[in-house]
Amino acid sequence: MTPIPATVAEQRFRDVFSHLGAVTAYAHRRGSADADALAAETMAIAWRRLADVPSDDPLPWLYGTARNLLLAEARRAARRTVLREPDPFTPPPELHDLDPQLEHALRALRPLDREALLLVAWEDLTPAQAARVLGIGATAFRVRLLRARRRLRAQLEAAPHVHQAAQLAHVDVEGT
Amino acid sequence: MNATDSAFHRLRAANPVPQGSAVEAAALFDRITALPGGGGHPPRALWSRRPVLVLVLALAAGALLAATATALSNWFGDVIGAPQVNSEYSRAQTRLALPPGYAWPELHFPANSVTSRGAGGSYAVAIAQSAWECDWVRAIGVGDAVEQRRAHEALDELMANHAVVAPAGASENWAPPRSARTPTEVFADDGGFQYKERSYREAAAGHPQLLEQSCRANAPPGWHR
Repeated sequence: MTPIPATVAEQRFRDVFSHLGAVTAYAHRRGSADADALAAETMAIAWRRLADVPSDDPLPWLYGTARNLLLAEARRAARRTVLREPDPFTPPPELHDLDPQLEHALRALRPLDREALLLVAWEDLTPAQAARVLGIGATAFRVRLLRARRRLRAQLEAAPHVHQAAQLAHVDVEGT
Repeated sequence: MNATDSAFHRLRAANPVPQGSAVEAAALFDRITALPGGGGHPPRALWSRRPVLVLVLALAAGALLAATATALSNWFGDVIGAPQVNSEYSRAQTRLALPPGYAWPELHFPANSVTSRGAGGSYAVAIAQSAWECDWVRAIGVGDAVEQRRAHEALDELMANHAVVAPAGASENWAPPRSARTPTEVFADDGGFQYKERSYREAAAGHPQLLEQSCRANAPPGWHR
């Protein structure tokens, strides 16, 4: 790994840091308990590992790092739940404001299919960028995205009634 | 537009947080770039310590070999159920102190689940840590310098004697042998331990933002006020 001179490093990090708002919004949408803190930690990791951050397009790397922090946060939350009374179903914050039919359709998708859809639909990433976030090849991502879009459509057509599905709380911590 | 696109566009339009926003960005940038990093090599002084590090590693390897028999005996029987977790959690409460006004929450470990030995103690350490963090935040809020110092000392003691960092690459169930006797919280080797230490240093220096975030994010309901 080639060291980066301090002044160049700071300038490069400024480019990376310009995505702070996008990373914060991503953390919000994925239901982070403290999206600002998670985005700040993502940026601190990017600074520590600046030589690993692609200079041409840092955003997928940042989303991938934020996603790992979100998964770690979800695991900590799962551990804390044993310290409370069993909680009735609590929808993840990312889905609070959705219309119920769409929310139900999203819940019915596999976590990685849903993430593939949301990276493109909500984070506005290209399929190539989203593939890098998930650490899979572009072709595999396109297949997953196509499947996810079909399943979303099928769910919307097949489920006119809203059901209170409770699976999402734990499937969200599934890894890649 | 076909039906698939229609569903996708409906999803796109439903984006719950369409605008990216971040607060105190300039201050955060300055704080981050003041930290070591930036993709450079470690400071030269670290490399000059290499012979010492080699010696320390050799000694550690020797100690590890000597302890192998003990370690092997510890590997068996390291999976425990709810009764043992509850027992560890109760026992840890006699070793750990909470700040005034805080009570140990009841542990609800699923009866049909298992975990690693030491998990009950680990829960207790995490709870004590959250309690002292929230107590510190509260003391800062009311300007109680004595309680601030007490909370800082309690947290330093927890980090020094009841927290360890798992070896790089260790499984999520890794537990140090001592955790069966001493309640110990295990941090993954991902910078979380150092992040905690930094939050305490910054709070002591008058910048409690990270401490407040930790209290808000980790404490049971009602502890952050």
